[in-house]
Amino acid sequence: MVATLSQLFDNDYDEEGFRTCSVTGLEIHRTAENHVKLFGLTAVVAMVVGGIFAITVAMTRWELIGLIGEANYYRHLSMHAWNLLIFWLVFMEIAILYVGGPMVLGRRLPLTKVAKAGWVTMVAGALGINYFIWTASGAEVAPLLTAYVPLNIPTGFFASAIVFLVGATIAAVPFLATIWKEKRWGTDDTLPLVTFGAFITSIIAVQAILGGIAAFSYGLVWKVGIIETINSGAYRTLFWTIGHGSQQINLLAMITVWYFLTHVVGGAVVVSEKVSRSAFILYLFFINLGAAHHLMADPALGVGWKLFNTSYAFYGAAFASMIHAFAIPAGLEAGRRQRGLGGGLFGWLTSAPWRNPVFSATIFSIILFGFVGGITGVLMGQLQLNITWHNTFATVGHFHATVAVGTTLAFMGLVFFVIQTMFRRDFVSGTLASLVPYFYAGAMGIATLAMIYLGILYGVPRRTSSVVRNIPGADFSISAAAPLMSLFGVFAVLAILAGVLFLLVALGSLLFGARLERGDDAGLRPDGGLTPDGGKPVHAVDMRGTFAMCLIFMATFVVLYVLNWFLLVQLWSIGA
Amino acid sequence: MPGPFDKPEGNWWDEPVNRREGMWLGIAGVWSLAIFGWMSGFTRFGDQNPVGETYEVDPSEYRETVQAYIDEADENEEGHIIPPGDSVYIGAFRFNWDGLPVVLEAGQEYDIHLGAYDVQHGFSIRPEHSLSQQINLQILPDTEWVIPMSFDDPGTYHVICNEFCGQGHNSMHGTLYVEEP
Ligand code: HEM
Ligand SMILES: [Cu+2]
Repeated sequence: MVATLSQLFDNDYDEEGFRTCSVTGLEIHRTAENHVKLFGLTAVVAMVVGGIFAITVAMTRWELIGLIGEANYYRHLSMHAWNLLIFWLVFMEIAILYVGGPMVLGRRLPLTKVAKAGWVTMVAGALGINYFIWTASGAEVAPLLTAYVPLNIPTGFFASAIVFLVGATIAAVPFLATIWKEKRWGTDDTLPLVTFGAFITSIIAVQAILGGIAAFSYGLVWKVGIIETINSGAYRTLFWTIGHGSQQINLLAMITVWYFLTHVVGGAVVVSEKVSRSAFILYLFFINLGAAHHLMADPALGVGWKLFNTSYAFYGAAFASMIHAFAIPAGLEAGRRQRGLGGGLFGWLTSAPWRNPVFSATIFSIILFGFVGGITGVLMGQLQLNITWHNTFATVGHFHATVAVGTTLAFMGLVFFVIQTMFRRDFVSGTLASLVPYFYAGAMGIATLAMIYLGILYGVPRRTSSVVRNIPGADFSISAAAPLMSLFGVFAVLAILAGVLFLLVALGSLLFGARLERGDDAGLRPDGGLTPDGGKPVHAVDMRGTFAMCLIFMATFVVLYVLNWFLLVQLWSIGA
Repeated sequence: MPGPFDKPEGNWWDEPVNRREGMWLGIAGVWSLAIFGWMSGFTRFGDQNPVGETYEVDPSEYRETVQAYIDEADENEEGHIIPPGDSVYIGAFRFNWDGLPVVLEAGQEYDIHLGAYDVQHGFSIRPEHSLSQQINLQILPDTEWVIPMSFDDPGTYHVICNEFCGQGHNSMHGTLYVEEP
């Protein structure tokens, strides 16, 4: 056991602790690599825990199965949300910071003791949160994701949440120190795009974490009796700085991973440094305003405030996302066209390494995130449309499209990539590994669409254990939604199986995969190397395939926008 | 050609942008402004806006207000409340709705007062005959929200709580009966 573990944390380093990656060509130091592994493995453990609760939650919502009753439902739902949305993603994000900083810059990870202290603190916070969710009883209730006061939530939960957030801040320090060193002692060079993206991610993370510490501290001082009353509207506003802020971290980290992975396994280039970096800057200024879209159906806030914030200041951040939506596929298109890989409109895409799960996971992540998560996010973020989405199952569909399909798929691709390039293990089964992204994206994609329709067309609410077959004590239930709910149930089961397959391949490869020898790139390197030499300057390369895809995206967006408004104006008249 | 790991060299800011990328920036920019404009304009000319007066209230005060309203109101033979004027008060509490069931007239505008006595709740309402016509509003225990509504179609409207409010949350259901005047 110890031998296997220590083997996992070893590689062929030179005396100074560096090695050259055979896929990316990066100079990688042992300290950076080992901490990426540590945080990455922890994230996968959290995914196992949260995934187990995906089974009980989904099989309860599918009321035909009705796996657990109301008594335990909220506890399970809380476990699902915290372990997946927070622990799986945030541990991965710290690993991404260490990749984007020290690894890409070819440096060692500074302050490794601080990194370890951050890890220990985060783990302590995560264990505490799990403990207090699981043991909430008597007058106390499970927090779900949001811990909406004045619900009686365990005091220890608020305390543990603060500990976790402090831990994440500590863990980010070595990354920030890397950037500081680079700028201080490096040359005057501009940071590479991936590092720049990681850096902006970290700034947004710090803002979100400060808001989160404020929110949970407000809850904590009220719980322990230092203040007597707590204002639920003020808490909601504070909570969503972290509640949505953490989604912005997910988004930026994911986009950074998109640039990274399309490059290393697809041979993508940067088509315009100016445009891509400007998009990150727009995020920096505007994206945190988006937290407001959770508050559109709230009474306590003014209309002007709502309009400005929900639109990220005139859609500054949505615009930024649409910029990346062009820039990333265009990078792939330009890089591959320059190498003469595939002609026509989409030849560059169809000839891409679709059997490589790192590649397919990244592309499905981009497409599904954009088409499903992105569009629905803008729709439900419109002040008026929000009243048809708020707290319905459609909301759950939206954020599973973003985090459970988009971000999770990108991070699954990254985990596979790390297994091959850093753990240096081949997959136990290449075929099963290739299958994972198709299976998961397909099943979860359909489950997600079903959730959206259940919410919008039938008004099925979220956060309840029974409403389709039975509302206890009422002679009404949303029974018309039963067939669609069964469709959801079946595809949820398939999505869970796909998740299990991912875990089996990932953990199986770590333990039993053949060791990749030095120089073996496991077939990951894109045809014709990472970047093509010479040829036309990048801006002059044909990008009509990407342009066509973006036009299809825009057409879909417009159609869905019009449909949603059409549904809204069918309603009775509401509001002043 | 530069990759995302490379430090860009020279004056990268002045590198030209691909023609189609430039066009896309234009399309995306116009769309962003257009949807902002529509959303903002709709608050002026639209009929469905989650907008109304709000007042800070103490939960127990709100409870008394609702009680006074119920005392003043009539009841039909089934015991459903008939509001005395244009104001309709609804008080959410674990796990029921004060002020419901209520009987309203189609086509008349009411001021719907929403508030809660204990924790946060969700006001999710739809007519039985058309489930896709549904809306959802957040209810906070420290705020009274007055939203005008006029129901065009007679029918039975069901209210479900869609914010987690404790053990028993999934039984929280209420009814509005909208009748032909
Ligand atoms: C096979 C995969 C998954 C299935 C079948 C699934 C299913 C569900 C369902 C049915 C709900 C709604 C429960 C309700 O509102 O009553 C839910 C809630 C949620 N899920 Fe998932 N999920 C999956 C994966 C994920 C992943 C990967 C993440 C995050 C990365 C995630 C994050 C969440 C969150 C944050 C909630 C909301 C909890 C709350 O209301 O407080 N889920 N999930
Ligand atoms: Cu309730």
